[in-house]
Amino acid sequence: MTNTYITNATWALTGEKMDLRMGQAGDELATIFLNDIPLQGVNAISPAGEMQIPTGARVIDAEGQLFMPALFDMHASINLAGRSKRESIYRAGQAANHGGVWGMLVMPSSGFVFDNAATLDSFQDAVSQRSFATMIPAGCISENMQGEQQAPYNTLAARGISILSDAGKMPSNLLMLHRAMKYAAEMGLTFAIRGDVPVLTDKTYMHPSTTSYNLGLHGTPACAEEIGIETLIRLARDAGAKLHLQTVSTAEGVNIIRRAKASGMKGLTAEVALHHLLYTHENVGDYDTTFKTVPPLREQTDCDALLAGVKDGTIDCIVTDHTPCMPFAKKQDFVSAPQGMVALDNFLPCIYTHLISTGKLTWADVCRVCCTNPVHIANPYDQEEDVPMNAPLMLFAPEVHHKVTPDSLYCGTLNTPLLETVLSGAVTLPLY
Amino acid sequence: MNPRKDLITIDALSDEDIRTILDSTSAMKDIFTKSVKKVPALKGKSVLTLFYEPSTRTRSSFEVAANRLSADVTTFTVSTSSVVKGESVHDTIDTLMSMKMDYIIVRHKNSGIPAVIARHCKASVINAGDGSHAHPSQAFLDAFTIREKYGDVAGRRVVIIGDILHSRVARSTSTILRRLGAEVAYMGPSPLVPPTAHTGIPRFTNWNQIFDWKPDIIYLLRVQNERIDTPFFPAADYHQAFGVTEERLRRIDDLNLSIMHPGPVNRGVEICDDAMEYRNCLINNQVENGIAARMSILYHLTPQTQSHD
Repeated sequence: MTNTYITNATWALTGEKMDLRMGQAGDELATIFLNDIPLQGVNAISPAGEMQIPTGARVIDAEGQLFMPALFDMHASINLAGRSKRESIYRAGQAANHGGVWGMLVMPSSGFVFDNAATLDSFQDAVSQRSFATMIPAGCISENMQGEQQAPYNTLAARGISILSDAGKMPSNLLMLHRAMKYAAEMGLTFAIRGDVPVLTDKTYMHPSTTSYNLGLHGTPACAEEIGIETLIRLARDAGAKLHLQTVSTAEGVNIIRRAKASGMKGLTAEVALHHLLYTHENVGDYDTTFKTVPPLREQTDCDALLAGVKDGTIDCIVTDHTPCMPFAKKQDFVSAPQGMVALDNFLPCIYTHLISTGKLTWADVCRVCCTNPVHIANPYDQEEDVPMNAPLMLFAPEVHHKVTPDSLYCGTLNTPLLETVLSGAVTLPLY
Repeated sequence: MNPRKDLITIDALSDEDIRTILDSTSAMKDIFTKSVKKVPALKGKSVLTLFYEPSTRTRSSFEVAANRLSADVTTFTVSTSSVVKGESVHDTIDTLMSMKMDYIIVRHKNSGIPAVIARHCKASVINAGDGSHAHPSQAFLDAFTIREKYGDVAGRRVVIIGDILHSRVARSTSTILRRLGAEVAYMGPSPLVPPTAHTGIPRFTNWNQIFDWKPDIIYLLRVQNERIDTPFFPAADYHQAFGVTEERLRRIDDLNLSIMHPGPVNRGVEICDDAMEYRNCLINNQVENGIAARMSILYHLTPQTQSHD
């Protein structure tokens, strides 16, 4: 056995060309850091051309390719309605691999109700047999995600759960939630919730706007999300619980989080879904159900404020909010169609095409919000090896341009606006 | 006009489409005065009315229109309660396709349903009202009624009063009237009138502002309690604040304004009894013109079901 060498690879953060020696079984496990980013699996690094490579060693020439840690997605739902759980897991893992994602936090859903040990065990079994990617389940906040009674957090924590979520849904029973936060804070669990006031957003379908007026669809007021965010922050602060705000979509929501962080609140993090940075209500056009999301796609000013929040650290993560919907379901009318997009396939190429190559974000930003921050929050842990897990290394070829076709998607459904568009960049070598 | 399969919204129509349908509405109306009120234009064609929402007026109006054009009319009644939640309209479309219908007239509580049906079938689909989205045949009969009364729609001022938020009539009628050169304003309880920034239509909150604006036509909407689960405003206020009261009727009479309403009317809520008998109350004209406008719409649409003729 010899080590594998990667030569002439460009470090994404600085553009320096490097040679890398990848570790193999039996090597020392000391982690190498570049710009404070841990490089998993690398056991030596030097400027390009300076590394001693033994003859006969396996060499990958990465000329023109970037290396960086693979991404971690803090928010994915993988339940394919009408398909088996095994297939759902298999497809999501393949899609993640395709999009540069090594691990993800899997939301509970109707197919995977993570409120008991048995479901978690069978899920983790299936993942270990079928998945290309690391899948960390988020335990339910309430039994069957009904928002009424707390799930057994102690049991869930014993199965390695560190994040609790009712798939984003905000429990309307705030007394239940407040008590849950107090109880779970002792165990160091994090609550992942989307700010919402359900009574204000019930039977609403999109952002209140010219589009909603023209289409006769009831608008989801931004204030519902903002009241929800403020409420969650106050509950978590009072209970001393860690809070991760999911899929923030409004400019004022960003401001509320920025103020709370500035006031010194600890354990507060927030995420934005990639689609909330890229699209607005205008994309809904003439009832295009692909663009039906919860929370809805809002105004350009919201997109800009969310991006500013990512830049200044108010928003900690960019997530896929990956939600597979069967084609049949999305072909229904806008009111009946389910919400959500798939985004694991092409996650990094999409970020590269729309945010990095346009100069809106740097590689350092992306590394922070898609690699290091989410790993820090989700804190994935290998129960068998008894060690924290870290991102493997990945190679990315930015000059590869490819059209997104139905055949090119691994996730099993087609509900993405990227279909038939051309993206730049491809994950060429996930080293896991 | 170019062959057009469906009528889903006014927005989708060209200026020529609108003009053509309005022009032949007069010709259709002339038929009503003949002793035989029937022409063979759609003889042998089949028309289906598919109403997922209760309606007497619109459905009968379409049925009479289709009969006067000699089409065969079938009524497909779908009780809303029998529509299983989450069930797709696609299954119904497949059934309809097997029936080889040429025209499908559809009403549904969800905005956007007729467009889904139109995309998936060869029959001409006419939107007879979908959620809060559109009601284009109402728009045509309203535009025709105004043209009949005033000679031209252009230059007229129309204020639409009531629950704009839930009203497909407000959306479609304001669109056609503005396309034809009229000015439109909205008035109603604030929570029920979307902001001008979203509608592009000026928004009034009381009758004084309306009279100052010098409208020609007062267009009243019904307060749609069936679409409202949590109250938007104290219902008891409506008549005094927004309705045509006897006092306001006198002012309307003095100014020689017209009153319109898509029906059915809630007497004592949006309109007082006397206003129903008012000389410039055009409500019955609207009903009569509705049949002519719907005949014209049916006549001008081209189903794609005849490809093997």
